[in-house]
Amino acid sequence: MKDINILAGATSSFGELWGVSPRKLVSDVTAEALKESGIKRHEIEAIFVGNMLSSSLGSQDHLGAFFSEELGLDVPAVKIEAACASGGMAVHTACLAVLSGQYETVLVVGVEKMTDHKPEEVASALMAAGTDGEREAGATFPTLYALIARAHMAKYATTELQMAAVSVKNHFHASLNSHAQFKNPITEEMVLKSPVVASPLKILDCSPITDGAASLILSRRKSGGKNIAITASEAATDSLGLAQRESLTSLKAAAEAAKKAYRSAGILPNDINVAEVHDCFSIAEIIAMEDLSFFTKGTAAKNIASGMTRLGGKGIIVNTSGGLKAAGHPVGATGVKQVVEILQQLKGISGAKQVSGAKIGLTHNVGGSGATAVVHILKK
Amino acid sequence: MISPVKIWRNQKKIREVLNQSGKIISFTRVFMPPAGFENQAPYAVVLVKLASGRNYIAQLVDFEEKHLKIGQKVITVLRRTRSPSEEGIIPYGVKFKPL
Repeated sequence: MKDINILAGATSSFGELWGVSPRKLVSDVTAEALKESGIKRHEIEAIFVGNMLSSSLGSQDHLGAFFSEELGLDVPAVKIEAACASGGMAVHTACLAVLSGQYETVLVVGVEKMTDHKPEEVASALMAAGTDGEREAGATFPTLYALIARAHMAKYATTELQMAAVSVKNHFHASLNSHAQFKNPITEEMVLKSPVVASPLKILDCSPITDGAASLILSRRKSGGKNIAITASEAATDSLGLAQRESLTSLKAAAEAAKKAYRSAGILPNDINVAEVHDCFSIAEIIAMEDLSFFTKGTAAKNIASGMTRLGGKGIIVNTSGGLKAAGHPVGATGVKQVVEILQQLKGISGAKQVSGAKIGLTHNVGGSGATAVVHILKK
Repeated sequence: MISPVKIWRNQKKIREVLNQSGKIISFTRVFMPPAGFENQAPYAVVLVKLASGRNYIAQLVDFEEKHLKIGQKVITVLRRTRSPSEEGIIPYGVKFKPL
């Protein structure tokens, strides 16, 4: 793939933002990215909006025009939906738009407004990403990942304590991120003693319901300062439902997207210095590390628990933003935010959570219980 | 949205999966339900490999604690699935019970 240059990226604060509208979220993150990029607003030629729930929760089904109006840009604008991978898929689609030659410079925004609604309604709306059979069973996303977790525990002797270590690491990273929803450090014991959502997953194994937005400006042009480029943008899909999968302990779509991305970028998994992975649940980060070939199958849990992937660790440092677990998971914004986090790491402007000498970074964004996966590789 | 038409269309498929046995390959107990299932929580959801080789996800009902384990033999039964929608249609579907 030809490199796509990232001129700028920004994220809003993530959290329970009752006083802030989706319009304001998108307007603010776009203004911040425009300022950083140095380009003029009218130089944006198209807008790609990553969002999942505007229809079911927000009763807004014309999201492209909704935001182009807000931004004062009468350019082509479209919503990209791929469940919790909507953000990553919006970045992927924007890359294709630039590669096509039609546009030189485009805006990607990811946005989700979730906390205006009660949890049962949000859980039901999110289950629109599942199958009829899963909905009929009364399954939620914690339910589906609980089934995955139980299968991983049975096959690889993964423990609840090892899963808890993922949340502990990500809360520690989030304590260094001023935009994170949960900046409070936690302990393994707190995770194990927290209320059960869907056994064996406790509330502190689960990413929260979050409001937030993130933006990126992508271009064929190079940026004036340190240029950071997307060097691979790949996606893959698998069966919508968990029952139709070949394996419960690996997400085939993620492994496939990663394999294609490594090939496209001409690198090996071990060349990655820093990664943002889709830890919607603690077990999901463990499986992500295996699907991305950072660890061999069945060995990620103990390596994460040993601190290998924590800031200061010897391995690939993972989820410096705090991940979905602690930075928050506004579903359509997450895949865009991951790229912004890696952008800042490669620019060396991540402050207390900076991974020193980071040159190559990866993002891994998953939709549903693994039906969509999007992987991006960025380099200095 | 639960449409009466959709319920009618899907109920034709139910008979194909009734009275089928299989084994639990993963299980969970749900404490935080989605809308329409508030009255049932906590409830068990299991993933079952049917004798036909196909995997099926559904609730486990009429069971004791000892049945909630990988390898447990189960059979599909017809049960009411969730609270009726505003149209008053009562949705029925497939659940498992221990064998």
